[in-house]
Amino acid sequence: MTITLDSRQNVILGDLELALMDTDDVEPIAAVDASEDKKRLFEEQALPFMDQLYAAAMRMTRNPADAADLVQETFVKAFQAFGQFQQGTNLKAWLYRIQTNTFINNYRKNQRNPYQGTIDELEDWQLGGAESLTQSLSTRSAEAEAIDHLPDSTVKEALQAIPEDFRLAVYFADVEGFSYQEIADIMKTPVGTVMSRLHRGRRMLRDMLSDYARERGIPVAPATTRSTT
Amino acid sequence: MTDCGCDKAKAELEEYLHRELSAQDFEDITEHLASCDDCSAEHLVGITLTLKVQQACKETAPEELRAAIIARLESV
Repeated sequence: MTITLDSRQNVILGDLELALMDTDDVEPIAAVDASEDKKRLFEEQALPFMDQLYAAAMRMTRNPADAADLVQETFVKAFQAFGQFQQGTNLKAWLYRIQTNTFINNYRKNQRNPYQGTIDELEDWQLGGAESLTQSLSTRSAEAEAIDHLPDSTVKEALQAIPEDFRLAVYFADVEGFSYQEIADIMKTPVGTVMSRLHRGRRMLRDMLSDYARERGIPVAPATTRSTT
Repeated sequence: MTDCGCDKAKAELEEYLHRELSAQDFEDITEHLASCDDCSAEHLVGITLTLKVQQACKETAPEELRAAIIARLESV
């Protein structure tokens, strides 16, 4: 992975620079250099994650203007805290943690979310059951194929429709490939909660996409009954 | 054969997909999937879901945002 390689090079570079600086006389000019170095290092390491953070911000805020504001705020905060970032640890996870915190503190409270606070307590039957376990082989294959044929816009729409905590868990695991432990750190919840959100989020997404496919006349399994209230 | 059976496989398919299993469990389920069409089909739905979500979520940050961030960093 180039990312790992790059950050390792940067660590070595950083250490060398630190060593050089230590032997220098500390003059005002050195402080300027140090802050320039910090900025350069930050830009080199953190800015490449901009597209990913923006994609996550789009899933969080659900609109481009708020997403852009959130990413900008994330980078400013990350830059101000960059001194506390431990080189060699996972910068991507660190940036996501800052962005998720910022989102929860600044944006989430302005959004209406009827599920907030209670969503983890909903029972599975209230969210749509695990009916796939009783489906036959042929309907499962048909389901995979039907989902595969859906356009990106439909997948996005379905993602937007699932409760935020579930959506973020799915995004972090399936798009970003974070481990359950990393997601737990980012979302500040126990690993068990991450697993449950992920499971339920994927279940809802799958049911919704199968429903869409059925509505569009793509053959899937026969409609299943489940509680919609 | 040390086939773990459908119950264990189905219960852990999501963790299998996300590579969150121990090496032993991972091996057991891989082995089971190789011989069970039903669980393989279920696994395929899971993989399809993941790939579709990945594909749908690709975004490129707008150029104005990139410029705005770099300008903000200069002034911090």
